Amino acid sequence: MPRLTITAIAAWLLVGGCLTIPLPAADNKSASPLPALKVGDVAPDFKLQYFDGSDLKDVTLSQYRGKKNVVLAFYVFAFTGG
Amino acid sequence: MKNFQKNLQKLEATDTQVLGVSMDSPFSNKAFADQIGVTFPLLSDWGGDTTRKYGVYVDKYKAARRVNFLIGKDGKILEEQIDSSAIDPTKIVDACQRPKLKN
Repeated sequence: MPRLTITAIAAWLLVGGCLTIPLPAADNKSASPLPALKVGDVAPDFKLQYFDGSDLKDVTLSQYRGKKNVVLAFYVFAFTGG
Repeated sequence: MKNFQKNLQKLEATDTQVLGVSMDSPFSNKAFADQIGVTFPLLSDWGGDTTRKYGVYVDKYKAARRVNFLIGKDGKILEEQIDSSAIDPTKIVDACQRPKLKN
């Protein structure tokens, strides 16, 4: 293979690499605005269910009002880490 | 979720209820809880209404982001942790242990 062709391929790969690498990073950035709710905002009430092994149980945020602090931990999918 | 389980006693000692939330079904979440040894409720936001209401829905993944909210007894948000920083709950445990939250 002529040296020129090899140089051209190497240059193409280099440029291609530079073009493609920043794209996922830029994408991550655009997908990460802060959640709509800020510290100090009132957390919206909800009614959700969980399965305790025999029954579906309702849980609302308002049931803890005046009684307990609540940690609400949103996670992406069951059976994943974090 | 495992990290919250590890800190559950500390959190419960400060009158704090831990609730996981995802868009999985209640039954998947129960199986997940059993697998990783989590004893607090993992709530099912089937359809994602609550996830959207809290502004943590990611259209691309059709799922929630990894976000923790600490909500005080008055219903106001005291702390937020987002994405990778949400995996270590130390900040939330510390916030719960501040004297003003214990009353």
